[in-house]
This record gives sequence, structure tokens and C-alpha cells, in this order.
Amino acid sequence: MEETPNHIYQKELFDRLKKSLSLKREEECFGCIIKPAFWWLIWKERPKLSEVEKQVTAACPCMKKAATRNVGRCTKNIAEVLKRAAEEKKLVRFECDEGLHGFVYPIIQNGKLFGYIGACYTKKDIAPEVLDIFAAFTDTIIKEVQKEHELAKLYETLRPRAIALSTVHTVHRLISSTLDLNELLPRIARLSLQIMRANRCSIKLVDSKRKILLPKTTVDLREKKAHLKKVRVGRFAPGKAVKFGRPIRGRNYLATPLIDADVIGVITLYDKIDNKPFTQFDQEIMSTMAEQAVIAIKNAQLYKEQEKLTTGTIKALAKVLDTRSPGTYIPRASFVKIALAIGQEMRLDADALKSLEYASILHDAGEVFVPQDVLTKPSKLTGEEFAMVKGHPAAGVEIIRHMKALKSATPIILYHHENYDGSGYPKGLKKDQIPLGARIMAVVSAFESMITKKPYRVTMTVEEALEEIRQHSATQFDPKVVEMFLKVVKKKDIRTTLEKELHGSK
Amino acid sequence: MDLNKALESNIHLKILKFFHENQASIDTPRGVATWIGEERSKVKKALEDLVAIKILCAHRATSTTGYSYTNDAKLISRIGRLLKKAGEPK
Repeated sequence: MEETPNHIYQKELFDRLKKSLSLKREEECFGCIIKPAFWWLIWKERPKLSEVEKQVTAACPCMKKAATRNVGRCTKNIAEVLKRAAEEKKLVRFECDEGLHGFVYPIIQNGKLFGYIGACYTKKDIAPEVLDIFAAFTDTIIKEVQKEHELAKLYETLRPRAIALSTVHTVHRLISSTLDLNELLPRIARLSLQIMRANRCSIKLVDSKRKILLPKTTVDLREKKAHLKKVRVGRFAPGKAVKFGRPIRGRNYLATPLIDADVIGVITLYDKIDNKPFTQFDQEIMSTMAEQAVIAIKNAQLYKEQEKLTTGTIKALAKVLDTRSPGTYIPRASFVKIALAIGQEMRLDADALKSLEYASILHDAGEVFVPQDVLTKPSKLTGEEFAMVKGHPAAGVEIIRHMKALKSATPIILYHHENYDGSGYPKGLKKDQIPLGARIMAVVSAFESMITKKPYRVTMTVEEALEEIRQHSATQFDPKVVEMFLKVVKKKDIRTTLEKELHGSK
Repeated sequence: MDLNKALESNIHLKILKFFHENQASIDTPRGVATWIGEERSKVKKALEDLVAIKILCAHRATSTTGYSYTNDAKLISRIGRLLKKAGEPK
């Protein structure tokens, strides 16, 4: 018989039937009624005589004992019975030359006969009802085995696909959980490497002005690492993938373009760890991966743009406010840098650092509502004037209220004049009641105020200001923040920027 | 824990078998727990044990961690031999 898928399916089904416990139990039960019976199963619609002989001899002790001439005759007899059962498609009884009785039942699945179940050495006078019940039971068992087989096939087919789908889902979650390109690109490279079981993965992004691919990340598992190289569009596999907008595959490499509206880059994999060539299947998987990667990369790029826009807007706002009294509202870059460095030392996450940056730029924006003569008054403020000054944090919050991106900076601006011991304003919060960002801002803002020129106080040197802050640690300022501040201010790059801004370049 | 010790534990054995059979897979503890039919918290711990002995790689993100098989060809072939010896997990 030809090895068609249907044939293979029937053979698998037959093998499962042979091992079926339900069939064995049926044979045992009916064996008790029609005893003594010896059962055999024959595969194929038209089996060869040798196959019939093999199966029947293995099962029937009568055949084992019989002389050779009888075996041949008995086999022929049974083959004739099989033929009749196939034609009639129902159970057929027989009596062999030895005067023994038996029957053959054709195994039919979806109208197609693919084997027989037979019994020899049975009682002569089995009631027809018993054989009817046997046929019904056998049909039920065949259906049950067929269902089991289909379930097993389904499991074999679906499981690898479900696992692959789960991988795609996990990869999607992993790459969409960051909006930082510096974190995202290496992550995409590492995940691609894992999925493809390759030794090296590089990601290059297109610089459309210069028509070149800029290397952004490479993950290399080999001992001899490859160097990051720029590639001209159209050259080598990555350049060609970008130029033609389709994957370029060779034995040891697979370059997959990252396509959004245009091609924005390329992921290239080299050398599979099992030394096998990259296949069409690998290409399809990487195309799916690239589709996900491009969305994540575009999101990260958009986020970066958005951030730049927000920072730009804030700076512009500060600049507008500053026109009223130059130097009052725009803090120098070094103070923003100090605040961020303290935040990093205190392990603030990326969002909290961003809020700190925004708040550093705009923390005194509310002073725009305080009359100029009050702000610049060299002598002691009256109660009414001081009340005006105390209102500036809330006024600052009012200015940024409509800017959603600055919402998280609000508590820092509102509470940056709170003191650690509860003596500050506007609410008199103390210790941990004051948001950490505001505690950081309090130190930096005070430091700024001490060392820059103010009409109402004598300008201090940096060292004098540091000493002043140290003295107010645990009273006006959070001691942990002061500790970090003193550490940060000692850093060479920060001190250089600070000196440059205070005294100009030397 | 080392590789031999890991093979003595049924859950570690199941995880190893899963990743050895699905070497390109990257999955979360919840996913792996589903594939091997074990409790997620136990799977999570076992996955970290296997990361510690460099059989698995952990891809950590804020929302979840994805685990994948080692890329070390020698280690993979050693694991293959040991899995054959160890037989089927219970």
C-alpha cells in the first residue's frame, strides 16, 4: 500500500488500537463467554498470506501445534474469511479444517476498512446477540481510540506552536517594557540571539542624511569579538537588507530590515550555535521579531522626542519668566546637575529623576507672582511680604497645573521650602512626610541661593555654603540628602561646571 | 546547586527538559509553569536556581522576567546526555 497521509494515519491508529487497554479488557470479557478464544489483529485491508499466517500463528496454539501443511491451509481459509468480512463489512463466523470455530470483525474507520480483529478456538454455538454486543463494543473502542489518537496528534501539533506563540508574547512584553533606546536595543539583540540560537547579533540604525547604517549595539558570544562598524546602505548583508527592504539570508547570516513607514534599521544575526544554516523558517521568525522591535524602537524614539519637547517647553517657560528679573527664575545647569546626581546616588528611578529635573528648572517659577520690590528687598521682609514669598511654591504649581507631563514634579515644587524639622512652609511637613524629591530640592535650592548674588544676602563662597548646609543637616535639611549632596559636590565634573557658571571660563 | 544536583529535583528536571526540547523558547515563570504543569512560585525559584548555574539566561524587565536556554553548545550537549540518563520526570 502506498504511504499516503491517510495510510500513515490508519497505521498509527491501528498501532494505538493494538495497545488499547479497552480492547484487551474486551477480549478478556468476551473470552470468558465464548471461551477458549485466542485473539489476533491484522493490519491492512488486503493483507498478504504471510502476514495473516504470522499474526494467527502467534495467537493461536492450534496453529503452533499443527503440521506445516495445516498452517498453510488454515491461513488460506482465514484469508478467505477476511475477504468475505471486507465485502460484507460485518462480522463473519467460520469453521476451520480442524473443526474449530472462530470469527472475524472488520475494523472500519470513517467508512474505510483498515484491519481486522479475529478470534479462533471459540465455542461453536455463540449466540448471535453476543456477537452483536461484541461488534458494538468494538466499534465504541475504535471510536474511543480514534479520539485519543486525534487528541494526541493535536497536542503534538499545537504544543510547539503554543510555545512559540508564548515566546513571541514574552518577547513583546520584554521589549515594550522600556522606552530607553540604550536599554531597548541591547535587549532586542539578546532576545534575537536567543530565539535564533545564533552567536552574534548586531543592530544598526539608518542615518538617512548620510545614507549609512550606524552601529547601535552588538551582542557577541564568540571569544573573538567583532568590532562595531558603520556600513553604507547597499553594502554587505545589512546594507542590502536596508536598500531592498527585505531580509537577506546566507548560510551564516540573516539580515532583517526594521521597516516602519521607511526602513529605520536592520537586525543582523551571524553563525548559529549548532553551525546549521539559517532557514526560511528562521527568516519568518525574525521578520515577526523585527515587526515587534520596530514598534518598540519607534515608541522609544517618540518618547525621547516627547521628552525633549517637554524639557524644551519648560526651559522656554523659565526663560519667559526670567525676562522679568534675569537670573531669578532660571537655575544654572550645574544646580540641575547636582540635583540629578543626588537623585541617582539615592537610587531614584528614571521617572523620579525626570520629575526632579523638571522641578529643578521650575521650582521658583511661582516667584513671578511676588512683587519685584519684595523679591529684591535688601532689608527684612514685613509679615505681609513674607506671606507673599511663602505663597510662591503654590503659585509655581498653579503655573504648571495644566501641563500633564509635569504632574509628578508638582509635590517637589510645592514642598521644596519645607524643613526637615517641620519649621518650613507651606504646610510645616517634617521628615519623611516631605517627598524625597522636595528634600533634595530644598538642599540644592538653598545652596544655589547662598552662592549666587541675591540683593537680600551676602554671597557666600562654595566652601562657606557647604559648611552652612552641613550645620543645618537634620534641622533644616534631611541628613541623608546632605550626605549625598556633600559627596556629589566634590565630584570633579560638577565642581568644574559650577565654577565655570559662577565665575565664567578661566 | 550544580547540574547534577538540579537533575535530582523533579521540577528542575522538568524545566531542563522543557528548555532542551524548546531551545529557542523565551518564557516567563507563568508560561514555564503552564508547560510543565507545576506551581508558579516553585517554578520561579527553580528558574532562578538554573540561572545561577548558567543553564538559563534571565532577561529582566520591570514588568516580568523572561527565561531562555544557555547558548553554550558544550553545556547543551552535556545536558542532553544527562537528560537521557535521568529518564522521564515524574
